[in-house]
Amino acid sequence: MATRYLILEDGTAYQGKAFGSRATTTGKIIVNSNMLGYQEIITNPIYHDQIIVFTQPSIGNIGINHKSYESISTSIKGVVTHEYSDISTNRLSKLSLDDFLKQRNIPGISGIDTRELAHHLRKHGAMKASLVDVADQHAFDQLNATVLTNQQVSQVATPKPYPNPGTGLNIIVIDFGLKHGILKQLSERHCDTIVLPWNVDSKNILDLDPDGIILSTGPGSPYDLPKSVLKMIQNVQKRVPLFAMGLGHELFALANHASLYQLKIDYHNSSHPIKEIITNHVLYASQNQEYSVDNQSIQNSNLIVTYRDLVNRTIQGLRHRDYPAFSVQFSPDGGPGPTDSVDLYDEFLENISSNMNKRSSRNDEF
Amino acid sequence: MENIVINKMAMQRALTRITYEIIEKNKGVNNLVIIGIKTRGVFLAKRIANRLEKLENVKIPVASIDVTNYRDDIEHDKQSPKKVSVTNDNISVEKKNVILVDDVLYTGRTVRAALSAILELGRPRTIHLAVLVDRGHRELPIRADFVGKNIPSSQSEKIRVLMKEIDGKDLVEIIKN
Repeated sequence: MATRYLILEDGTAYQGKAFGSRATTTGKIIVNSNMLGYQEIITNPIYHDQIIVFTQPSIGNIGINHKSYESISTSIKGVVTHEYSDISTNRLSKLSLDDFLKQRNIPGISGIDTRELAHHLRKHGAMKASLVDVADQHAFDQLNATVLTNQQVSQVATPKPYPNPGTGLNIIVIDFGLKHGILKQLSERHCDTIVLPWNVDSKNILDLDPDGIILSTGPGSPYDLPKSVLKMIQNVQKRVPLFAMGLGHELFALANHASLYQLKIDYHNSSHPIKEIITNHVLYASQNQEYSVDNQSIQNSNLIVTYRDLVNRTIQGLRHRDYPAFSVQFSPDGGPGPTDSVDLYDEFLENISSNMNKRSSRNDEF
Repeated sequence: MENIVINKMAMQRALTRITYEIIEKNKGVNNLVIIGIKTRGVFLAKRIANRLEKLENVKIPVASIDVTNYRDDIEHDKQSPKKVSVTNDNISVEKKNVILVDDVLYTGRTVRAALSAILELGRPRTIHLAVLVDRGHRELPIRADFVGKNIPSSQSEKIRVLMKEIDGKDLVEIIKN
């Protein structure tokens, strides 16, 4: 295997071996410490334009299978691992990770001390990185001159509406870069789903008369989206039960006058215990976050904190005081990771049923 | 034949949702008093109060009420005075927002009896009704404000609510005769 380099914005260079494509790419470098599920991670649109460092030391050993896609298109900029394994033993696998990355023109690099690299990034914060053939001054200059996009959502989210038919409740999913896991969970619950582009306005949503609305996960910063998105959330949450996740959760918080702060380094893991405050239950979930809701700002908002990370005390869930609208920072459908909190989808559908009963008896409201 | 209609997780979710709905409706938890109808309504009331306390960091007064003497479907000894037995003697319902809690809403006669009993204690600002199961077949014009689950049932069926505090497990089942 050919020699390749991973170079960082701060001047650090790591030498390794190439796998996947030989393209030269630049993106934000992030660390993912999940022990499993590299295919879900690689195909999740929240990693758009990012170079993913896996701290799990061996990547590639289950190949690629048809069941683990979180999106069919991939838009990551690279895979960094300690060891690339091309012996895949998963019975579903028809494709090796190496071939998959080659097909999609995504470069990989192995032989990197990824735990050391993770420490380095945690110490120095988020930064840009490139995968290159030669780590010379020219490569560093190019890296430093590259401006990364802040329009990730419009690059990965669907530009057109599409249906995911079912026989049950009418659910509208607002796509900020959704992973398939969300649609799978709705399908399992027989929902008749319509996916709408992220920039749809509230009138178009409400004209479709949804029973409930989901704000999906997605890449990037909620501050890079136009204010019209917040206006849309403010309008729909009054009328229809709402469930927001990930980027959707951050937007839901902003729409209700909470504020966010950026974490020093993006957090991608599933090993933090999260407490559901109302029951004291502890669960684990797939967490991907770059921002966190500011504790102080909750006091001026109309929100209640419902979930909290027990390691770093960050807010992991919110609920509106006046409407059946709630959100979680984490991904309840796993993909990859624990599915302890997957019944949040049931909670959402039960909110809808309860809301429907109330609507039908609204005339005798006191 | 037995048929589980609410399992442990679903019961927890129902109580959680009812708790949030109480906050929505009452615009907070101020002035709230929760009264459970004996026996399982009391455990439900305590669980809801416990959830509200965790969320809002305030103590919510809980009382239990025994409405046997107010039932109109039970033959009473005409001589014995009607007596409301409220366990928490310090409780006052005057100008409060009362949440009345029971496990199953059926004919509405138990709730009617509980309303009479509460109104005899004072004049609450509002009374709302929360039930885990609404099985229909009302005989009085009564409806619940917060419902865990609507279970349309036939009158020949029995709905059995089990709670951990007294039965060792949480579930609701339909028993068909």
